[in-house]
Amino acid sequence: MSQLQPTICIVGSGPSGCYLAQFLIKQWPEAQISIVDRLDHPYGLALYGVAPDHHGTRAVTKQFDRLWSNPNVQFVPNVEVGVDVSLAELQANFDIVVLATGLHQDRKLSIEGDGLPGVVGAGRVTRLINGHPNETADDFSIGQNLLIVGQGNVAIDIVRLTLTSPDKLHGIGVPANIIEAIHSTPIRRISIVGRSTCSQAKFDVAMVRELANLTNVSFSASGLASVSKGDASDPKEAAIHDLVANSLAGAQRNVDFYFGWQPTAIAGSAEVSRVTFSNISRPEETLIFDTDTVITAIGFEESDDASIRRNQLKDSNSNIDVGLLSAGLYCVGWFRRGPKGTIPANRVDAKMVSDSITQDFQNRDDLGFKKGRQAIKQLHSASKS
Amino acid sequence: MSKDIVILFGTESGNAEFAAEDMAAAIESDAEVTVVDMTDFDVSEFSADVFYVLISSTHGEGEVPSGARPFIEALNSNAPDLSGVEFAVFGLGDSTYEHYSRGSEIIEEKLRSLGATRIGLYGRHDASDGSLPNDAAVEWVKDLFATL
Ligand SMILES: Cc1cc2nc3c(=O)[nH]c(=O)nc-3n(C[C@H](O)[C@H](O)[C@H](O)COP(=O)(O)OP(=O)(O)OC[C@H]3O[C@@H](n4cnc5c(N)ncnc54)[C@H](O)[C@@H]3O)c2cc1C
Ligand SMILES: Cc1cc2nc3c(=O)[nH]c(=O)nc-3n(C[C@H](O)[C@H](O)[C@H](O)COP(=O)(O)O)c2cc1C
Repeated sequence: MSQLQPTICIVGSGPSGCYLAQFLIKQWPEAQISIVDRLDHPYGLALYGVAPDHHGTRAVTKQFDRLWSNPNVQFVPNVEVGVDVSLAELQANFDIVVLATGLHQDRKLSIEGDGLPGVVGAGRVTRLINGHPNETADDFSIGQNLLIVGQGNVAIDIVRLTLTSPDKLHGIGVPANIIEAIHSTPIRRISIVGRSTCSQAKFDVAMVRELANLTNVSFSASGLASVSKGDASDPKEAAIHDLVANSLAGAQRNVDFYFGWQPTAIAGSAEVSRVTFSNISRPEETLIFDTDTVITAIGFEESDDASIRRNQLKDSNSNIDVGLLSAGLYCVGWFRRGPKGTIPANRVDAKMVSDSITQDFQNRDDLGFKKGRQAIKQLHSASKS
Repeated sequence: MSKDIVILFGTESGNAEFAAEDMAAAIESDAEVTVVDMTDFDVSEFSADVFYVLISSTHGEGEVPSGARPFIEALNSNAPDLSGVEFAVFGLGDSTYEHYSRGSEIIEEKLRSLGATRIGLYGRHDASDGSLPNDAAVEWVKDLFATL
């Protein structure tokens, strides 16, 4: 079986595409794998999403670096599938095509005022912080009163990074104009508001514990189910209690957690100035924040202008559970299962899809005759000329 | 090394597997080496005729990685008698977390409690500087077998 030499094109070089290449080349050492990306540099959100101060998490990209020393695996930069080459062209030229393009658009609040200047998505903010080549800093700045909607790990990343000193941000490679946009008006208060109770909130305990390392910050929390750490049975509540209890008096910056509120309206004339929330369990109760900057961190969705859409590629043979879209066409990672889960979850996903591909193809003896990687060059240069 | 060597890795994001493969490449000229995922390992196959090199990361709040969970569960429920079994351990972790490198220690303690004997220095890698464990693991395994 290991003699199979299929030509494989993986579209997207984020964690799911790279893990899949690792598994496939192990199964089929003689396969010819091309990983194309619309960007000049591989690794997707491992590079443009993961916080730049989380060096340990970033290290996974060094694992992926090893792929490129295998002569049978090739990175093809600057090709956007659906724009520079069509999916049909790829399928005509590769035995197997796998879509690993992720989901990048910040999910919108879908309430009145969510398009006002001063309201920005966390995906965009983290792309800016990470120097994403296609993201512009126009109109982006953070004032002194920041409101974050959402309480997942990305929201906590934003709290930590926006309260990190300019010198340290510089040291971890954040672009100078973004440091300026964060720090030109010093942040005085961050309110971080979520729908869930604290124990149901999406952040990991370690992420909240890490906030204790910030200097000159005092923490508060409202909407907890327990009064003190002593009667908190939930580890997330305990971690929040610790943060609050260990806050230093006299700190000039405040971070306030609010649990159990959902936003109902954003108001402002030229830009955002006020956000209203209603209590989840007592809807008539409202909470009003005066703010100059709102960062939404409530997840991701398919872009309005996505060049490839999963649901349009399904046919009667599709089995998304195992990554099959149609004969020879597969999907993996966030594009397959939705914008949930960490980098390791994509490894599990990639293993599963790799197994499903190798099973589907194990009895085929007609593989390896499609042109493969030469075709990309030809198609790409044809589209650019 | 006269015994055959099995390198057992427990991983979440793949670093331990990657380092296990590099360790195997570094010692395979001197011994018969196989690399096995802890998830796929049958704990009733532990043998005193084989030397085991365990490499595992730490995830969650100082827990074993998901790739080591079935292994630990099988050791717990089957409780095989491991007397005579010899092993060495290399732990992956990140010292910015509260429970540094705890995952491999949980496995190490379990194996010893079942009668196995740990040999050599306890190897460790700290990912807090953004490095991969591969180089440190290869150095460690070479030193280990140079002294055995
Ligand atoms: C802000 C943020 C922070 C995160 N932090 C962490 C963390 O600390 N730890 C953790 O474990 N996980 C973290 N995650 C989750 C993690 O990033 C994802 O689980 C993972 O990146 C998903 O991998 P993927 O390969 O499916 O998609 P992506 O990483 O999004 O990769 C998709 C790739 O496809 C390319 N692409 C898209 N469309 C096309 C096209 N048409 N043609 C060619 N190429 C295309 C993109 O350029 C990109 O390189 C974070 C996510 C976000 C958004
Ligand atoms: C979500 C998460 C939790 C972690 N928890 C710990 C921990 O509690 N203690 C520790 O020492 N390392 C911890 N680590 C660091 C990993 O053990 C380290 O990055 C390792 O190299 C990963 O190896 P793997 O890819 O084989 O899983 C954690 C990493 C992540 C991403």
